[in-house]
Amino acid sequence: MDLATLTADLEALRDRALSAIADVSDAASLDALSVDYLGKKGELTAVLRGIGGLPPDDRPRVGAIANEVRVALEIALEERGSNLRASELDRRLTAETVDVTLPGRPIRRGTLHPSIEAMNEICEIFAQFGFVVHESPEVEDDLTNFQMLNIPLDHPARDLWDTLYVDLPGHLLRTHTSPGQIHVMRSTPPPIRALLPGRCFRYEAVDASHGFEFFQVEGLMIDRGTTMADLKGLLDQFAHAMFGAGRKTRFRPGYYPFTEPSVAFDVECLVCGGVGCPACGRSGWMTILGAGMVHSVVLRYGGLDPEEYQGFAFGMGPERIKMLKHGITDLRLFLENDLRFLEQFR
Amino acid sequence: MRVPLGWLRDYVDIDLTPEQLAERLTLLGMEVKGLERWGADWQHVVVGRLLTVERHPRADRLSLTTVDVGAGAPLSIVCGATNIAPGQHVPVALPGAVLPGGRRIERVEKMGVVSNGMLCSGDELALTSDADGILILPGETQVGRELADLFGDIVLDVDVKPNRGDVLSLLGLAREVSAATGAPVRPPVIELSEHGAPTADRLAVDVLEPELCPRFVGRLVTSVTVGASPDLVQMRLRAAGQRPISNVVDASNYVMLELGKPIHTFDAAAIHDGRIIVRRALAGERLETLDHVVRDLDEETLLIADPVGPSAIAGIMGGASSEVSGQTRDVIVESAIFEPVSIRRTGQRYALRSEASLRFEKGQEFRNARIGADRTAQLLASWAGGSVAPGRVDTHPEEPERSRVAFRPARVGRLLGAAIPASEQRLLLARVGIETAEAPPGTRVVVSVEPHPLVVDPWAASETEAALDGPSAPAAPEVFVALVPTWRRDLHIEADVAEEVARVRGYERTPGSLPDTPMPEFRPSPLQVRDRVRRVLAGAGLSEVVTHALVSPGDVERFRASPDPAGVVDGEADAGGEPIIVTNPLSSQHSMLRQRLLGSLLEVVRSNIRQGREDVAVFEIGKGYGRVQDRPHEWWRLGFALTGAAAPRAWNRPLVMFDLDDGKGILEILCHEAGLESVSFEPLLGTTRPSAASDGDQATFHPGRSALATARVAGLHAVGLRGRIGEVHPRLLDELEIRADRVVLCELSLRGLTRGQLAPVRAAPVPRVPAVERDLAIVVADDVPAAAIAARIRDEAGDLLRSVRLFDVYPMPGGGRSLAYRVVLQAPDRTLTDEEIDGLIAGVVAGLERLGGRLRT
Repeated sequence: MDLATLTADLEALRDRALSAIADVSDAASLDALSVDYLGKKGELTAVLRGIGGLPPDDRPRVGAIANEVRVALEIALEERGSNLRASELDRRLTAETVDVTLPGRPIRRGTLHPSIEAMNEICEIFAQFGFVVHESPEVEDDLTNFQMLNIPLDHPARDLWDTLYVDLPGHLLRTHTSPGQIHVMRSTPPPIRALLPGRCFRYEAVDASHGFEFFQVEGLMIDRGTTMADLKGLLDQFAHAMFGAGRKTRFRPGYYPFTEPSVAFDVECLVCGGVGCPACGRSGWMTILGAGMVHSVVLRYGGLDPEEYQGFAFGMGPERIKMLKHGITDLRLFLENDLRFLEQFR
Repeated sequence: MRVPLGWLRDYVDIDLTPEQLAERLTLLGMEVKGLERWGADWQHVVVGRLLTVERHPRADRLSLTTVDVGAGAPLSIVCGATNIAPGQHVPVALPGAVLPGGRRIERVEKMGVVSNGMLCSGDELALTSDADGILILPGETQVGRELADLFGDIVLDVDVKPNRGDVLSLLGLAREVSAATGAPVRPPVIELSEHGAPTADRLAVDVLEPELCPRFVGRLVTSVTVGASPDLVQMRLRAAGQRPISNVVDASNYVMLELGKPIHTFDAAAIHDGRIIVRRALAGERLETLDHVVRDLDEETLLIADPVGPSAIAGIMGGASSEVSGQTRDVIVESAIFEPVSIRRTGQRYALRSEASLRFEKGQEFRNARIGADRTAQLLASWAGGSVAPGRVDTHPEEPERSRVAFRPARVGRLLGAAIPASEQRLLLARVGIETAEAPPGTRVVVSVEPHPLVVDPWAASETEAALDGPSAPAAPEVFVALVPTWRRDLHIEADVAEEVARVRGYERTPGSLPDTPMPEFRPSPLQVRDRVRRVLAGAGLSEVVTHALVSPGDVERFRASPDPAGVVDGEADAGGEPIIVTNPLSSQHSMLRQRLLGSLLEVVRSNIRQGREDVAVFEIGKGYGRVQDRPHEWWRLGFALTGAAAPRAWNRPLVMFDLDDGKGILEILCHEAGLESVSFEPLLGTTRPSAASDGDQATFHPGRSALATARVAGLHAVGLRGRIGEVHPRLLDELEIRADRVVLCELSLRGLTRGQLAPVRAAPVPRVPAVERDLAIVVADDVPAAAIAARIRDEAGDLLRSVRLFDVYPMPGGGRSLAYRVVLQAPDRTLTDEEIDGLIAGVVAGLERLGGRLRT
């Protein structure tokens, strides 16, 4: 083996390899070529093995040529490889094209019931003013539901609460959350700031604005100096939080046997903004809750001395709040559980 | 209460528009719920004057008239009434007019003669009850005027609260108007001219039950002519919602509306011996009441009777035999006061409530018995030409003094949160007729009446305060006495006076402030766990429902409370007790309190499918109810129901329907959320043998696809979740007409639903060393619960076990099944050696073999 032959072989090898690399059309064949020419058992290695038969002076020259060939092949392989990868990626991207105008894959989404959500909203607003949540039983006794709330047996005021009675002696389905006031006063020393959300029942024929089952949230605040002015201030805050800042409110006399003085609380009609429309009976106002200063009789049944403690209570219907807020005109929707209604809420 | 404004003006001047008046009354606590324009439905009805009245050429019963209606030429109108004559003023409905009830008047031809409109009767205008004759208007009525302008009125619909029976009258409302505007009240002027023999000669009254009838005032009016009331009276009664009947009956109704005093009139000829006895009914007595129903009387019923028998149920309804009729000549006027509770109970027992009984129930002003009797007699004389016999029969002529309520202006201010000087408070009270005077020293203030009177001595309290504050503190307390007008029955305690001060002053003048009193202690919310669960389930795709707690007996029977097997969930009430029954249900569909949520959830599924819905995934957190001995018992449960497509149907997803495993997956996330260990399942019914049971779990659930789910509190032995989950028995779906192949149903008790708190999560550091995965396929008999195998793997692998997950289930040909688990092992701080791993796995396998399993090879 002489220098010329070896050099010629190397050059031939290079030309062959470069041509083969140029012809290759996929990455796997290119990898195979790399092994064929540059691998441990590849052609270039085989050629270089012949170097040993050369005179020592020629060896560096051949070595340099061989190195040139190797570098040339490596560069060619790299270039070709990168070209091949780019075109393969292009092919993949083309192949993967979808019709982006089609809709996506829907995810099942549940919703929370508006009655319960309304109660939570109410509780959250009053929580900012230090009110905490209590609960009391739904099957109540007449004593707590009525008599301790200053509604004696056979009192005409009982007409305000048409009552469902049960086969437990002296018991009924609570007509309001107000008996919770007694439970809270008896279990919690003042200062009291309590909320009592829950289900109530009445003997009431079902129509668009009445039902025999509904929810209420009761509020109770008692301390030494809790005044009607505090009640008004707090209710204003509530109305603004629930219906929007700047909404006008009206604080006027109402009647409940368990408060004295009693209050009815209105907000400016959410439909007409106070001008007067069928939704508000042309008055421009919508009543959202009843309230008042806790009657001394109730305080005493709750175990508190009315000479020392005074406070207020309020009660509201979360469904009514929701109806006003969302323009719902039929109370029955809340217990029908038609998903077409429920799924409108987020 | 319906209040015709024109009538109200008899008693007080009103310089406000109806809308302004409505607002002022509302702000005073007399809420005006509506303003009705009375007569608004008379369109194109004008006053006409009859020029000629002739017989119709072709019909004897018809008259041919010409009528001057002011504008244009006289109209010729055909009329069927016989009470008309030339010169009379009558209402004329012109062509195009619309009358109450929507009746339209057009130009028509009647028997060959054109009629250009119609002459109207009082009935056709809904003004009076006379349907036979044309309404003859007063001669001075201006021809051509729209009738609505002359006789129309505004009717206020006032919501009178139960404590203000005194305002169930025009006079009472006039007093409120006066409080709002300052205009003086004009009570009706009652002047009687009495003739003949004294009343006492012909009428005697014995009250045998003075507690039930504290006062009975009787009067006698003789020689009446029963007929129609004056038109104006009829119009007023109509506008106020009362049907005119006859001048005698109308007089009593008029007085009731005017003064709030119910009056009853008897035909004197029907009262034997002129003797009225007020007594309780005797057993077996019967009475035919005015509505011509013969009623069996009970011994609780107070009667107005004569020596022969009952004449009326006192305060509720008169008797038919003593009813005033066209033949009546002499009338006995009853103006009595009855005990409110007795009237209320009697009305409820007989299911008879009237305008009169409602007023009796709310209590009557004692003086009004006398005034009402006199006023009725006056009206009978005026409207029916009666002669009023001198004097009254009165069982209790002494009338009580005004009651006194002591109040401390400072306390009134403290309650209202506004410093209102005593002088201003006194002026405000004067506007509702409450006179005030300085209280003499020693006057006690009534703070509360119930449960027993709480009375304070302001002077004693003042001395105590003075002693505390030192010698410089003023000693004399400021105390006044309010003299309560006799008509007010709602003012008893100091706070009642405070309300009067506040409402006359105007609630809108109450300042608004934010509380500056101490805050209460922190209290954990009982809703915390419920709320968290709600949010998790909504996130998992379930929608929250709220269903009726009152259900049908069939539903309760089908889904009775059955105690959860093997103990209760920690801190939660067990289900149990007899169902609670509503004794006065609105309908049988809602007559019992439910014990379980299952029936309600299935109803939600059923109704939504009926509405065309294919997939339903809903949950509810609600109560079950029962009675244990004579005590009510309530418990919280979570339930859910799933049916239809497990993920919303889409073009780009294979359709997979909800089945039991989806329900189980929901339990897994619940356990994770509630800090419970992994949930385990065992067969609910213990047998897959088909059962014919009609209630209980066997009827509810698919025998082969239902489980009892249990999860324990992490790190504790306590049970944190227990309940039934399964697919609904196909037979039950059929019975309930639920059109679905499969419905997954679950109800469970979950720790914390009642009032629990979520425990904080204990977070562990993330290991930095590699984990080792090994797969183990175990063959076990079919009756070994999968949960037992997973538990055994956990026990045996110990602390180094990171996770164990079932990834394959394969039924073995010769029986039993192969369960393949991927076990991940990892030490927190080092890489496990092969020897350690092999040793652990060998231990696990040995443990599983003790369960009867073997490694599948």
